[in-house]
Amino acid sequence: MSRELTIDEWVCAAMAGTIRDGEVVFHGFGSPCATVAMHLAKRTHAPHMVLVEGATYALDPDPAFIPPTSNDWALMRRAAHVLRFEELFDLAARGGLDRMFLSGAQIDAYGNTNVTAIGSLEAPKVKLGGGGGGCNLSATAQRMTLWTTHHRSGRALVGRCDVLTDVGHVTPEGTREELGFPGRGPGWLVTELGVFDFPDGRARLRQIYPDVSLDELRAATGFELDVDPGLRALPPPDPAAIALVRRLDPLRVRRREFSEQELNRRFRWADDGRSCTACL
Amino acid sequence: MAYTEPDKVVDLTEAAGLVADGDVVALGGALSYREPMALVRELIRQGRRDLHVVGSAHGIDVDLLVGAGAVRVVEESYVGYEQDFGLAPAYRRAAEAGTLEVRESCCYTILQQLRAAEYGIPFMPVRGILGTDIRRLHPEYAEIRCPFTDQRLVAVPALAPDVALIHGLMADRRGNVHLLRPLVLDERFTFAARKVVVTVERVASEPEVAEAGVVLPYFAVTAVVEAPFGAHPTSCYPHYTYDRAHLGEWVKAAADDHSVGQYLRRYVLAPGSEAAYRDMVGADRLAALGEWSISDERWLELLS
Repeated sequence: MSRELTIDEWVCAAMAGTIRDGEVVFHGFGSPCATVAMHLAKRTHAPHMVLVEGATYALDPDPAFIPPTSNDWALMRRAAHVLRFEELFDLAARGGLDRMFLSGAQIDAYGNTNVTAIGSLEAPKVKLGGGGGGCNLSATAQRMTLWTTHHRSGRALVGRCDVLTDVGHVTPEGTREELGFPGRGPGWLVTELGVFDFPDGRARLRQIYPDVSLDELRAATGFELDVDPGLRALPPPDPAAIALVRRLDPLRVRRREFSEQELNRRFRWADDGRSCTACL
Repeated sequence: MAYTEPDKVVDLTEAAGLVADGDVVALGGALSYREPMALVRELIRQGRRDLHVVGSAHGIDVDLLVGAGAVRVVEESYVGYEQDFGLAPAYRRAAEAGTLEVRESCCYTILQQLRAAEYGIPFMPVRGILGTDIRRLHPEYAEIRCPFTDQRLVAVPALAPDVALIHGLMADRRGNVHLLRPLVLDERFTFAARKVVVTVERVASEPEVAEAGVVLPYFAVTAVVEAPFGAHPTSCYPHYTYDRAHLGEWVKAAADDHSVGQYLRRYVLAPGSEAAYRDMVGADRLAALGEWSISDERWLELLS
């Protein structure tokens, strides 16, 4: 078994770690890291998770590989069932979706995300693809795991989203409670630099990768950084889990979420497996 | 209105003629899967203008129509190529230039609007949207209070597209259509829209379609066209996977107006018909897309 892992593999493992066994979990389309994370969780610590694919709406499929596009039949292979589009969204509306993975070109400290436009809504500097189902799902999904693979750019974690597509804990128009949203909002934010939780509805840094300094992470973060007094390095993933990531995603679609520079980050397990250090 | 003609099979030219300039057009399928590309190409050949396209998450269908200058309003939840090829270049350029009105929506909102039309009621409620900027794009939405629980909700109005364009696997001449999952919004479009134009891989006998399973019933279907590879370059499983190389070729061409024009001339306008389009793409290449089912290894190779 390999003694090394790369950042994309570690991010997928960290995202998988936010899933609890028995949850009904859904990823959006265009989310290979979340797709890999869900299949990893299902095959490791969360065998009773109900895995719903992001665009085929297949239940618990066994893909031979993660395809580059998410409404491909590859993500229906050997599925227990294929839900209708309507069934997934109705499930979420009535509170039956336990966890949703959601990303954004911009994410603020409250976990609001922007996948609509950079600049203004009326005159976008960059028109992004759009939010898919997030605008409603973020209101009703019980819990959310947010992620971004572009934290270091300084443009992903922002003081304020240019445009608000999906709701976090507090919006300019009020809190989730005031807006009448039954879902509990983002619980985790996983980035390629660290892992945040949301103890009081605001992102707090809880774990950091061993090759990242707190100063460099703070410099890349556009909102004032809250740090857990118990901040520690991410626990190293299980080598068997990383081997599984490689087997699940032979096309390495997950790596498309990262910049070239980030993909050079490699780590090595210590002999006792209890820590990982960066390979320089 | 029920469509009860015994034979609805027409050619692509006549079928695309059922779409008028300025129509609200629902596009079937999604992203890289079963999009009504033969109809999209024919609408471009016929020079259709000012379309208002609606749907969930889409890709080359919307991008190509926008690139050809056929669209005035896009009301989709997403337009792009995921992590595969990223943002949709023609769509993005038109949105940023202000030549396209983007009324970005959300999958569930569109679903509820179609349901309202299907149910014959003026609106449906949703629980999201509040607190977001998506709401600012839609002055037609209204915040309401539930008369029973006093909960805050957003009422979204019924959406009855003028015409739905759907690509299916098989249909009979009366218009019964067989599809396989994922169905995305194809059923909802069929019952919400005023006209439903369906292209299929193959026109078959009524018993054969009945045996395979009717998903869209004849009385809701206006016209049927036999268009093999009519979803290309998106997929139409189990017949063929998506043509990733062709999609990449389009995305590259979509980078500027000049190369969009070149792509359109080469693949849409010069061929003039779907048969000529298939020749242009190449019979060998199209046949290869059907080899996904031979083995997981071959499938993976086709998507590499």
